[in-house]
Amino acid sequence: MDNVPHRDDSTDVLHLIDGDQPLDWEHVYRDNVTSIYRLVYSRVGNQADAEDLTSQVFLEALPRLRSSASGGEIHKYLVATARTTLASHWRRRFGIQVTTIDDNLASAAEDVASIDPLPRIRHVLAKLPPNYRRILELRFLERCSVREAAASMGISAANARVVQHRALRRAAEVGLEVAP
Amino acid sequence: MNRRSRRVDRWVDDLLHGRSPRRMRGGQEEADVLRAAIEMRNASPDAGLPDPRFVESLRQRLGRETQGQVPPAGRITRRGLLASGGLAAATAAAGLVVGERLTGSGTSTERHLVPDAAAWVPVASLADVPPGSAKPFATPSVTGFLVNNGGQITALSGVCTHLGCLLHLNPGARRLDCPCHPAAFAFDGSVLVHPHPQSLPPLPQLDARVREGMIEVLTV
Repeated sequence: MDNVPHRDDSTDVLHLIDGDQPLDWEHVYRDNVTSIYRLVYSRVGNQADAEDLTSQVFLEALPRLRSSASGGEIHKYLVATARTTLASHWRRRFGIQVTTIDDNLASAAEDVASIDPLPRIRHVLAKLPPNYRRILELRFLERCSVREAAASMGISAANARVVQHRALRRAAEVGLEVAP
Repeated sequence: MNRRSRRVDRWVDDLLHGRSPRRMRGGQEEADVLRAAIEMRNASPDAGLPDPRFVESLRQRLGRETQGQVPPAGRITRRGLLASGGLAAATAAAGLVVGERLTGSGTSTERHLVPDAAAWVPVASLADVPPGSAKPFATPSVTGFLVNNGGQITALSGVCTHLGCLLHLNPGARRLDCPCHPAAFAFDGSVLVHPHPQSLPPLPQLDARVREGMIEVLTV
């Protein structure tokens, strides 16, 4: 039997140990803040929550990182922290997971949804009936209020809300998935 | 349906205004609707890039809370942030970039943004930008505006040259407004309004062309 103790890979990036150089945390932050923010933003869709969750990720992960970890290991650990932070966000907010970060996603840069969602969205919009497509374009791409969108479509605001709701439901059905 | 549609609409409104949507409970079907709304929100040109003020304030907080020290501002370099993919954050987080532009020896005509290893990226249909209009666009590395001036297409950076906030399109006044300070740019990138007493450089331009009805910009 091998005498070398088994080490869990995940402990490699954890805890500063004696003899380690202090972590250049600013370097880590600078290299990762934009990609982690974009990844989280793509799963919550708003600035306030994206800032809150990005802060939680760095506040939790940075003290656990050791300086001997490579840039890739550190990034992977930050993505893993983002995954659990997002999961607890949705548990608190909605009760079930509205969006997730794929278990196999090692790097935020691999994530299609956080980089260029437009082609997939155009593809989904093209499959919707014209009034569903129109309300989503007016609301999300042209940033109209629901009243402005209703006026543009010649329907009441209450009707526009129902059309919007149905359009989102249909968009979800035709494969508008956040996770790749 | 009406009551649930109103609730979903409030959620959508929160997303569109950058607010944290209020807590709610729902089943799988409602979760699917919310996920679709989040995905749609990601298509908006102003989505997804961190606010430079947030980047700097979190840096300071991390220094205080995890390290017990705060290194001086300005150590976040432009190159470092560019490498991590945030042009807006990069231009903004370092006051030194603005300083360079204001005090450096570069002339104000050197305002052409051509990244290393750039390629032509389609960003909009020409039909979506009729003559006389402007439209926001975004690529993974650049956010900006396309302007159609009598058939001539120009692509401008959408980042204020003051402190890096993302500009808003003001089509009525035919200008790009800074949400952070009194600064505004004309559709040719020139400065219309700047925060007293600083003068500002004009907006950098990107190379743009039209191919098969699509507007392409030279970027990464």
